[in-house]
Amino acid sequence: MRENRITLDNTIHTKLATYHDPCNYGRKSLKAFGHGYFEEGRIITRACCPSFVDMEPNRNGNYCCGAGGGAWAMPYAPERVFYGRIKARQIQECGAKMVIAPCHNCRDQLKKSLNKEFDLGIEVKYLWELVSDSVIIPTKK
Amino acid sequence: MMYEFKVADLAEEFGVHRNTIRNWINSRTLPAQEGPGKRYAMKVSDYVALCDKFGIIPKVNMEMAVEIEELKTITTAQTGQPILQLGEKTNTLFDDPSWGDVCLTCGTCASACPIAGVNGLDPRKIVRMAVLGLEEELIESSWPWKCTMCGKCEEACPMNVEIVKLMRRLRSRRPRNLVPGPIHKGVAMCLERGNNLGIPKDDFAFLLQDLGEELAAETCPGFTTPLEVRGSRLLITVNSKEPFAEPDDMKWWWKIFYAANESWTVSADNWEGVNWGLFSGDDEAMKTIVGRIVDNLERLHCEALLLPE
Ligand code: SF4
Ligand code: SF4
Repeated sequence: MRENRITLDNTIHTKLATYHDPCNYGRKSLKAFGHGYFEEGRIITRACCPSFVDMEPNRNGNYCCGAGGGAWAMPYAPERVFYGRIKARQIQECGAKMVIAPCHNCRDQLKKSLNKEFDLGIEVKYLWELVSDSVIIPTKK
Repeated sequence: MMYEFKVADLAEEFGVHRNTIRNWINSRTLPAQEGPGKRYAMKVSDYVALCDKFGIIPKVNMEMAVEIEELKTITTAQTGQPILQLGEKTNTLFDDPSWGDVCLTCGTCASACPIAGVNGLDPRKIVRMAVLGLEEELIESSWPWKCTMCGKCEEACPMNVEIVKLMRRLRSRRPRNLVPGPIHKGVAMCLERGNNLGIPKDDFAFLLQDLGEELAAETCPGFTTPLEVRGSRLLITVNSKEPFAEPDDMKWWWKIFYAANESWTVSADNWEGVNWGLFSGDDEAMKTIVGRIVDNLERLHCEALLLPE
């Protein structure tokens, strides 16, 4: 994006969108590497979705989706859903209808579990799925 | 047991002048030792004897002291609880005091944790149990596996207790055959066959080629999947759940690469990008799996690694 190697169409995704901070990209990167990747994903999301709102709390204070640390694969599904109630409430309260998740685990929990369990009525996309759906394919190749 | 006092207080208690107390101490009539902060200490028995002499009621007495012998006589039968021995055990869960000893037991972590209360446990209790040496109970508990190692508790903790490291240590102390769910099996499979789900090399290569042809027909004319292309700029890993269950999802990244005219490749072996050793607490396996990715980078002369997670 910075080098203008791709052009994004920001008219495709019109729903109010929000960005989920994966614990490993944000809070845990900040601790492990001294840099939390909080803004990068937001810059990309906003480039595709001009209508954007943040959940509260966000960034370093964000709540986990409930499926991290291998929990998506664990045989403790009721606990995982219970855990996710806070995430579900955050999404509901911010009013977004599109949630961008830049992590496989988070996306699966949001899309395949919380969306149904808590009747969120949201669309969930990977960050790269959003970019892929917004990218303009150069005509001459 | 010692009775600690200040000269002025003792003088008031016995109704004598402060200098009298000092004289008694100097002449050893009152056998007391000087301590820090102008305080003195004497044996409680000496204090009680002195009180007897003056006919006053002692503020403390021997019955108030819990004798160690007495402690030993408290049996399991009397209390219904095994006696917890403190102080003699080396805590093998901690690398240093920041893992637990510095905990103030304030409970901030428990307030921050979305699953506090599940199974009657929370991060504060886990840290406390670890400090008290209840290792077996913790290793057997399923709680550290329901924790997502999200770090929310740590972010809130005023003492920067290494709660996530402790949770992971608890996981790593589980015998491997008792790791819940498929994650250890995935690690073992990855070590054996190069990916968590054991997808055979030929199937993988065929799938990637097939999907590439689809993408070319759909949106990206001329696209072919660059498998094992030496000298590509980026080496891309793959999450095995995609070729296994959601193959079309791989095309999203590919389309972006196509649009950006990126130079990239996927290796034919050891392409797994999900390192479950991180979650199962298996450092050795993690190292081996990361090492294989580095080997691929070198073998294919790539400049950078992209883990499309
Ligand atoms: S890391 Fe574990 S204990 Fe701490 S807040 Fe997250 S789920 Fe709770
Ligand atoms: S927040 Fe930190 S200091 Fe407070 S109880 Fe939890 S671990 Fe201990």
